Amino acid sequence: MQFFTSGFFWFIEGIFLCLIIIGLKYWTEERNIPMPFWKWLVILIWILYSGFTIAFIGTCLGENEPAAALKGGMLFSLIAIVSAYGLSRLLGFFRLTRHQPK
Amino acid sequence: MEKSEDWRKLSRRQFLKASGAASAVMGSAGLGVFGYQAGKDSFSYTGCESFQGQAENFNRQRFAADHATYEKVGVASRVDARTEVIFSRVSSLMRQWDEEKGLDSLDKGLQAYYKKHPYDLKEDLHARKKIFPKRQKDEIKYKKKFVLAKAWSNAMSAVWPPGIRETPERYDFPRGEQYGEPVEPLKMKSPEKTSQLIKQISYQLGSTLVGITKLNPDWVYSYPMWGRGLNPELPLEIPGHWEYAIVIGTPMSWDPMYANPNYGTSFDAYAKSRIIAYRLIKFIRQLGYPARPHTPGVEYDLMVPPIAIDAGLGEQGRHGVMITPELGSNFRPAVVTTNIPMKTDKPIDFGVQDFCKTCRICAKNCPSRAIPMGDKEVVRGYRRYKINSSRCYNFWYSNLGNIGCRLCVTVCPYTRKSNWLHRTALEVTANDPSGMSQRILSKMQKSFYPAPHPQEYYIPSMGGKNESYREPPWWLQTEDFIDIDI
Ligand code: SF4
Ligand code: SF4
Repeated sequence: MQFFTSGFFWFIEGIFLCLIIIGLKYWTEERNIPMPFWKWLVILIWILYSGFTIAFIGTCLGENEPAAALKGGMLFSLIAIVSAYGLSRLLGFFRLTRHQPK
Repeated sequence: MEKSEDWRKLSRRQFLKASGAASAVMGSAGLGVFGYQAGKDSFSYTGCESFQGQAENFNRQRFAADHATYEKVGVASRVDARTEVIFSRVSSLMRQWDEEKGLDSLDKGLQAYYKKHPYDLKEDLHARKKIFPKRQKDEIKYKKKFVLAKAWSNAMSAVWPPGIRETPERYDFPRGEQYGEPVEPLKMKSPEKTSQLIKQISYQLGSTLVGITKLNPDWVYSYPMWGRGLNPELPLEIPGHWEYAIVIGTPMSWDPMYANPNYGTSFDAYAKSRIIAYRLIKFIRQLGYPARPHTPGVEYDLMVPPIAIDAGLGEQGRHGVMITPELGSNFRPAVVTTNIPMKTDKPIDFGVQDFCKTCRICAKNCPSRAIPMGDKEVVRGYRRYKINSSRCYNFWYSNLGNIGCRLCVTVCPYTRKSNWLHRTALEVTANDPSGMSQRILSKMQKSFYPAPHPQEYYIPSMGGKNESYREPPWWLQTEDFIDIDI
């Protein structure tokens, strides 16, 4: 058992996830973007999906399956990028004016 | 003052935003490394690490079914091991065949079999006349490459409990006080507890999986294969004490198995399973009950895969091998027959039959084309995929790595490492009644995991390239350790 497959690793990943969400919260507040519950849910799903994509590529490389890493990585990354663009429009991330904090 | 508070607020905001962005980068990098470790970690080599029955955290009880997933569709008949099992049939042919007398040189049983199955006669004679003599010449030319692989396989089978030469009535029973074995069976508290005990002992002896079933007589050979104290000329009367079957087993070592057909060896797991079986019969006899081991690849009087299926260890795949949820097809079993009363296990259904319908990866990759691409057929009263064992056998002896092939075991999508990725895929396919995930995942398998063309597995003198599914492990690469001209 190595650090990266241990429970402690997931504890740290959890902290990172919290920080991502807090950072995103401030970022959306600055831009006056309303963030109802469903938007957070969608974002969380996207983050998990992207995490899956990265872990998939890493796992395939670790298994010495470069073809799977490349093909699967390209497929899943493309879906992640296209869905990120679609979601940013759906969630209104780049539409509203930036709100200057006092 | 107001300005400095603003500044502080701004800086806190900026700090948290920056932390969020940094976390995204570090979290992603962490996931990448996690994935890499999960793929590489030797803990993901299925089933090799446990003596506690805790090797795999797969809850198989969820998939317990009232009936095994093979179908009985007619009157069943038992296998005549003298003619219907390729190993004994070909060895009889090798001994008896006389070119001038032809079929007449064979015993009556073989004659009758070949008259009914002329295709097998063609394939078996091909083995006798072409494959074996050619193999001797090819060995001189090509075998050096596999020196380490063979040395390792032989090392694994070096400890091999001696075979049985006595009838079940004599060999199976406890020998009495002078051998430290009771004359009368000890009174066990309950079948449930006995079952629990036998399983835990089997794990302690090194078995990765254990299942218990009542022995279905359809799975016992109608004539014995090698004798083992039984007269091969007489039908095998199933002894009354072969009431239960305990199925134990172990996986083959991962890296060589992934470099099949040349570098893996069945003897690594068969030897371990055989030792476990012989230890287990000793344990059962110490309780005063009879027990007999049946250990493939060489000494058994029954068909092991369907018994393992009855015992709830897995389902039969298109390639004819049993697929377990924990180890995929990478499982080499042995059976112990006994009459100690035990609670039996239920068979399981975790979606293999549906998966095999569309997958066909084993059939496409099989070098000898022994695995059917089409549907199941009725064989001896049961519907199943019919493997052309003569073709399979002839490939075993056409290539020069370790004997056997096992490529169908390797390429099967169920034979994957025990990490988050493949465990998740297994859970999804096992729980999806629509069949959609099976189709999607088998498509992904085909495109993500490329394999050599089946012809490339053959030796160069047969138009191949001596290929293996994946690179052999570093410790089996002869040229890196031995100064030898390959
Ligand atoms: S062992 Fe090899 S030759 Fe035999 S069925 Fe499997 S893949 Fe085909
Ligand atoms: S490779 Fe596919 S078709 Fe063959 S046994 Fe495995 S799952 Fe079934």
